[in-house]
Amino acid sequence: MSVNAPELELRGITKRFPGVLANDRIDLTVKTGAIHAIVGENGAGKTTLMSILYGLVQPDQGEIRVRGELVRFSSALDAIGAGLGMVHQAFKLFPTLTVAENVVYRNEPKKGWFIDRDAAEAGVRKLADSFGLGIDPKARVEDLPVGVLQRVEIVKALYRDARVLILDEPTAVLAPQERDGLFVIMRRLKAAGRTILFVTHKLNEVMAVSDRVTVLRSGRVMADLKTSETSPKAISKLMTGRDIEAVARPSLGNGGEHLLRVNDLGVVDDAGLVRLDRVSFEVQAGEILGIAAVAGNGQSELIDALTGLKPASSGSISLNGVDITQAEPAQRRLAGLAYVPEDRHRVGTAAGGEVWSNLLMGYQRTPKFRRGRWLRGTAVKEHARELIAQYDVRVGSENTLVGTLSGGNLQKLVVAREMTHPAELLIADQPTRGVDIGAIQFLHRRLLEYRDQGRGILLISAELSELLALSNRILVMYEGRIVAEFDAASTDEAELGIYMTGGHLAGAVHG
Amino acid sequence: MAETLRASTNRVLRNPVAFSIVLSLLLGAAIIAATGTNPLLAYSEMVRGALTGSGLRNTVSRMIPIVGMALAISIPFRAGVINLGGEGQMVIGGLAGTLAAIYLPLPPVLVIPLALVAGMVAGALWALLPAIGQTALKLPILISSLLLNYPARALTGYMVRFPFADPTVTSSSTVPVPESNRIPKLALFDGVSASLVLLILLLIGVALFNLRTVPGYETRMTGLNSRFSRYGGVAVDRQVVWVMLASGGIAGMIGTHLVVGETYRFLDGDLVVSGFAWSGLLVALLARHRPGPMLAAGAFFAALQIGGLAMQRNVNVPWQIAQVLQAVVIIMIAGRFVLKARRETAAVIEGETTVTGEV
Amino acid sequence: MFEQLFDSALVESVVRALIPILLAALGGMICDRAGVFQISLEGMMLVGAFTAVAGSYLATSATVGTVIAMAAGSAFSLVLAYGAVSRQGDPIVIGVAVNLLALGLTSFLLPQLFGVRGVFQDPRVDGLNRFPIPFLSDIPIVGPAIFRSTIPGYLAMLAVPALWVFLFRTPIGLRLRGVGERPVSAETLGVNPTQYKYAAVVASGMLCGLAGAQLALGNVVQFSENMSSGRGWIAVVAVMLGRAHPAGVLGASALFGAAEGLGFRLQGNGLPVQITDALPYVATLVALALARKRFKRILELTAA
Repeated sequence: MSVNAPELELRGITKRFPGVLANDRIDLTVKTGAIHAIVGENGAGKTTLMSILYGLVQPDQGEIRVRGELVRFSSALDAIGAGLGMVHQAFKLFPTLTVAENVVYRNEPKKGWFIDRDAAEAGVRKLADSFGLGIDPKARVEDLPVGVLQRVEIVKALYRDARVLILDEPTAVLAPQERDGLFVIMRRLKAAGRTILFVTHKLNEVMAVSDRVTVLRSGRVMADLKTSETSPKAISKLMTGRDIEAVARPSLGNGGEHLLRVNDLGVVDDAGLVRLDRVSFEVQAGEILGIAAVAGNGQSELIDALTGLKPASSGSISLNGVDITQAEPAQRRLAGLAYVPEDRHRVGTAAGGEVWSNLLMGYQRTPKFRRGRWLRGTAVKEHARELIAQYDVRVGSENTLVGTLSGGNLQKLVVAREMTHPAELLIADQPTRGVDIGAIQFLHRRLLEYRDQGRGILLISAELSELLALSNRILVMYEGRIVAEFDAASTDEAELGIYMTGGHLAGAVHG
Repeated sequence: MAETLRASTNRVLRNPVAFSIVLSLLLGAAIIAATGTNPLLAYSEMVRGALTGSGLRNTVSRMIPIVGMALAISIPFRAGVINLGGEGQMVIGGLAGTLAAIYLPLPPVLVIPLALVAGMVAGALWALLPAIGQTALKLPILISSLLLNYPARALTGYMVRFPFADPTVTSSSTVPVPESNRIPKLALFDGVSASLVLLILLLIGVALFNLRTVPGYETRMTGLNSRFSRYGGVAVDRQVVWVMLASGGIAGMIGTHLVVGETYRFLDGDLVVSGFAWSGLLVALLARHRPGPMLAAGAFFAALQIGGLAMQRNVNVPWQIAQVLQAVVIIMIAGRFVLKARRETAAVIEGETTVTGEV
Repeated sequence: MFEQLFDSALVESVVRALIPILLAALGGMICDRAGVFQISLEGMMLVGAFTAVAGSYLATSATVGTVIAMAAGSAFSLVLAYGAVSRQGDPIVIGVAVNLLALGLTSFLLPQLFGVRGVFQDPRVDGLNRFPIPFLSDIPIVGPAIFRSTIPGYLAMLAVPALWVFLFRTPIGLRLRGVGERPVSAETLGVNPTQYKYAAVVASGMLCGLAGAQLALGNVVQFSENMSSGRGWIAVVAVMLGRAHPAGVLGASALFGAAEGLGFRLQGNGLPVQITDALPYVATLVALALARKRFKRILELTAA
């Protein structure tokens, strides 16, 4: 171990998944005590790289050095042993255990045969306090808000003596105050000599907190820059390979005809908390209405209420002039609603079913596919073959089980199903999440075509660039309310970001 | 010759069902040998007892309740609802059907169908209890349907001990069903019950329903992924209720057949002791709720049981070895592959997606 | 005076009824905590009852019978452990099949080994002795019921606090709970979920074996076909109702024990046996309905 060796050094890391070169000869050097940002679009290879670094995935080629020493991680345990700690986007905590129990898990302080609970709690408290994390060791994890969970994960890593913390998209789930708090914590950790790898695709955050930034695109390193010497615009160009795309935003097809009218819609959850607070808006024919919000600000509840999967507690919804507030999901579909759900695996498809049966779902009771109670088998299969061809779904045949499809193909299948039926309004929830660039472009073109036919789309996306490129108007939701409405042509990510994070209430956003 | 033998052996071993059957037969042989009987002798008695002489008729007769119960259980099972209460539904339906056959003052042409209908209605109503429990109170059908087997047995036991007891016999039993009101025998297989025809019709009906109808499609999709079904507009709760009604109805009809078509007296515990409901459940699992394979698997299990009884008579090996073999086959199959695709998929790195986690 | 005697008899029959259920339910609780869906308690209990009687008969010793029952229960539990944990088979399918296997196997072996059908009773089968604890057993009403118990009875009572300490105060208990909640997270931190799940299943097998021994050598001294008669399923419900917590499981088991004990007494008062036999199951169902909890895990498991 040499004194001047960088904290982390990656050389020529390459990882190939079936059909994708996820990481292509990646070099990365991270200095001790730095906050080093890793940026890239979805599919750029960030998560794969971090998984390799944390021992979850083994690279095909390349080497990793920690403080100058060559290491080979075959599991996360090895990485932890080498002083790495990772805070995943989806937390890895045990919900019913206490904070202290989560932190000391498998490294419990002991008193005889028993866990020394006092020592555990005191240790966790001390560690948390020394970085100003302010967490209660006795609290049960399932009772804690997301922002605190993240800090529990950080303490968990610190408890295992992590010198390097990998934060994977840590701000995606955070409210603005929580995000600012996280930045404070990151700076404190840095001051204490810890190194942070900060994975993100939000450029303002990169500028706000990082020392260096490495830009990934299509599995390759595009640049390694000093943050103070670059600009969001330059990084953005490196990330996307293009200047911010100026999509022609054509006029509204049927000019102002209201497809969907939502009035004072409210949702109260099982615990009696207001999740959606008197939301009103319309979607017009020939329009893509975008909804921008940080996860957990009421957009899921809005969609559930619109699709009828969970009941609304107040307000009304009308589609094509028909009140569907009380209608069952099936009736809403017949009234002209199509829906691309966020989770294509758990909601949007049945892995054990064939392509044809997955393509039929939701429309099995339309006259085209049934005669009385009988299914029109030929029509169903014919239809499936047509969609496979039209949407370029790469499958053996309509009888292939969808469980064998890749993410992009599966998403095409879902989108194909929802778009080809004669609905007037499409609710598209994260339609391009986790899909490779090629498929994203394909899906974007389809969404625009759909709109150009004079139909309407309600688009919910975590990707502001996607919302800006596709939408006519954008609504911003924050804490269950609509807090702003913009003409998509006259706003930008920064402005949306302020409203999404409640910044219009709190004053200015950092960065 | 040796080549083709080896090839076909390989084929058998690669087929999980065949492999499991072969392996459990070997295990059964070991158990029989361990308790001091020559397994080859026992098995040959089993084959002879199941397929020759009156054995064939008995096998076909036993196949009726086994396949019938398999069919009953497969309907909810296909929709992801596990009904372990087949036994209770069968017993309740059986008693209702029997009472109808004994006491309805109508001509036999009407009484027999009405008895079957009475059995169906009673079985369906008994199955409705756990269905409502799940949809209204979120009590898992798996548990509630099973627990209801015991009160069902107690209730019918009470009925035939007290209000409907035959005072001329010491056992808890109804009076016999009048000869005219019994389900007739066919001229097939030395006089097997006409219920066989009903069963075949039901099998065809269910097969058509499963493959060709809209609700058949919807139940299958719910079984594969109930959230997907709900998303697609299927009223899943309503579906739970009607699949349970159908299941209980068929179970009740089978119960009626067992008395009105076979034993003619409803004797307390009689329908339970042979474990038809459980054999049927295993058949449904083995055939993965497809009617065709269900018939084959049901015939196999029936032959095992009838052969087992012959084995018990002739070489004094208890017939329950058949139950052991049945259970072992299922365990092996379940262990070789997952019957329903509910295994958590490993975190597949797909682009940059991470599975959105709760907490 | 008479009233009192009668009440202490009632308490005693309640305790006697609850012990096998409690033992099995504690086994189910450990599995639940380890994230194994365990519905083969019934079968393991039946195997325990059979092997207890067989062991006691062969060695003319109830202790030997009990030890053999525990060993047999553990060995038998490996079927589920291998099928559901190692092979990742459907735990419901395997659990149901294991129950039927136990029923078939014991019904097969009963005539094969002892030459009788239905019920096996023999003076050589040594029943479990009761060990009164001085003074405590003289406490009115509850004394004789609780402090004049068999070894499995005392073990059941001790197991409740012992398992509480184990689950909530020891490192292994903590790791077990973690495995049950998020096996992948536990694995990341270096805990092998498979080992823990196996251990939990084997522990449940052992406890069910003990439950069977109590049933066949304590409550009665005989083996009869299918003598567990649903108690294992009631134990499954006790785990659910008791929220997989030792105290809760004890409470739920006591409820079912009370139903059975009460049934026994009502039977003495002339109620038909058919009605009183149904009482524990009806009580179980009513308790489930009243609890009105969302049994999320099991619903998810059964509804894909």
